[in-house]
Amino acid sequence: MTQTITIDPVTRLEGHGKITIQLDEQGEVADAHFHVTQVRGFEKFSEGRPFYEMPSLMARICGICPVSHLIASAKACEAIMSVRIPHTAAQLRRMLNLAQMIQSHALSFFYLSSADLLLGMESDPAARHIFGVVAAKPELGRAGIRLRRFGQHIIELLGKKRIHPGWVIPGGVTEPLEPAKRDEILAMIPQAYADIGLALGAYKQIAESFKAEIEVFANFPTNYLGLINEDESIEFTDGALRLIGPGGHVIEDGITANRFTEVIGEAVEPYSYTKFAYYKPLGYPNGSYRVGPLARLNIVSSMGTPLADVELAEFKQLALGPVQSSFHYHHARLIDILYGIEKIEQILTDPLILDKHVRAIAGVNRLEGAGQAEAPRGTLHHHYKVDENGLITWANLVIATGQNNKAMNLGVLQASKHYIKDGKFTEGILNRVEAVVRTFDPCLSCSTHALGQMPLVLTLVNSAGEQIDQLIR
Amino acid sequence: MPQPQIRCLILACGNTLRSDDGIGPWLAEWAEERFAGNAAVCVLARQQWTPDLAEDIAHCAFVLFVDCSVDSAPGSVNIVEIQPRQQAQGLATHHQGAPELLFLARELFHAGPRPAKLLTVGAGSTELGETFSEAVLDAVPKACEILETTILQFLHQQEK
Repeated sequence: MTQTITIDPVTRLEGHGKITIQLDEQGEVADAHFHVTQVRGFEKFSEGRPFYEMPSLMARICGICPVSHLIASAKACEAIMSVRIPHTAAQLRRMLNLAQMIQSHALSFFYLSSADLLLGMESDPAARHIFGVVAAKPELGRAGIRLRRFGQHIIELLGKKRIHPGWVIPGGVTEPLEPAKRDEILAMIPQAYADIGLALGAYKQIAESFKAEIEVFANFPTNYLGLINEDESIEFTDGALRLIGPGGHVIEDGITANRFTEVIGEAVEPYSYTKFAYYKPLGYPNGSYRVGPLARLNIVSSMGTPLADVELAEFKQLALGPVQSSFHYHHARLIDILYGIEKIEQILTDPLILDKHVRAIAGVNRLEGAGQAEAPRGTLHHHYKVDENGLITWANLVIATGQNNKAMNLGVLQASKHYIKDGKFTEGILNRVEAVVRTFDPCLSCSTHALGQMPLVLTLVNSAGEQIDQLIR
Repeated sequence: MPQPQIRCLILACGNTLRSDDGIGPWLAEWAEERFAGNAAVCVLARQQWTPDLAEDIAHCAFVLFVDCSVDSAPGSVNIVEIQPRQQAQGLATHHQGAPELLFLARELFHAGPRPAKLLTVGAGSTELGETFSEAVLDAVPKACEILETTILQFLHQQEK
């Protein structure tokens, strides 16, 4: 008799998803899927809206990474306007995007995943949360909370709101940076360095005890995609995309936003509302790839900042070519944070950072435009078409979670096959399967997350679909 | 322990797009206007109470949490003292209650004991909408009065 194990919802993620694991007659894992069960309608209901409203509308997709949507959307609008934004506006946006990356990564690492890492995958689920981390390692809990606050406070200082700031608009930003705000951010930076230094040191020690998980947490060769500068350093806001193969060779470079749909396609699977992005010349699923912190570090030669470069060199020692195990997303995320702090400090010392020229103004000069940026969890692409009056006639968004979708599914299958034998499993085993998904830090349906407590219901059904057993926590 | 700079912190929670759930932010805005220019009073309104607020709590002498309540009768206004409490259940990673935030402030930022109260207004409706139910509209004057009195009482005590 075949069986299906269902984990619904998967906990400690942004949004709601579920995992199903199919067992064969012998109780061995036959297949496994990660399902995204929400529907996104943003592309559809933006039709008919003026293009200049798009950044504010699109930012509402997500409460964690609204800034990335703001920036990708504004860039798509600027392609429609055919303008190049002032240098200072570009620098301020870059800082805002990095601040968001820092707060989002802090949430993912410290709030959502550190309990697994510090307390153990098999630890009491009732204590496997941020309060458990605080009890076990208060200095690490404090560092995590401070880093998240650091990023959020910069967003609030620049955009006046922590979530959904309206400061980024087509053409630039609404207001220049005030000297007092620059000084306030600079004053927070030493503590941020101390906090990320503590976290990196702690993580490297902890990772030593997770060698078994590293082996089976989505540890397989794939392609990797991310933004990169011409000097091969990491980039979050501008630059062009690079795709590398499993061995590290460059498959395609210089993929600008307007070429994205030329080379990237989206496949559909019946078990998920999220699409599966792939590189068209390789087809689906061979052209599937990973994005996000792991991909970014795999595609670049340098971070472009001194402290992060030291960490990158150490990170690259983990493998001869690209680092393949998704467990290492955690490590890459912390290096991203370090880079973000250094880069923000650099941006604030730009002699033009207080310049008052921060906005270009224009109307519709093209009927189609696309923009891309690195969201915390990977590459984000916005593509719009407008009529002569600037009203949206068509929109398409390709989000990071969709680009990681195939790897997440294969990762769930790999871990399930490794841990579930003879149809037997424990809560700790299922937590490991969930933790594979957590390494990617997906933002399911790129929508705001749920309030309050998220229950886990595990249902065992037979081949006729009848429930045999259920575990609720 | 650093000396608190903000003496009175008003920490409101709610979503202004979900009818009566917006009463917390509305009262926060009212308090911000009422105590404008008073450096001893700081008002923060959030859609959710998240752990990073623990540091703000650690730096104040008194904290007044303001929220709607779906467990109280619609329009009922209640104020209670609260104590730090560790989260009993482990799955709420995005949102903490007032006692849990006090706990985090104590454990992480070594905040000493401080008076803390929770002011709630019973919600009649939390459906999509930007207007309050009649029950909550009727309760607004009483909620403002309690909010004002509580803050003034605390500030007076501090001056003595």
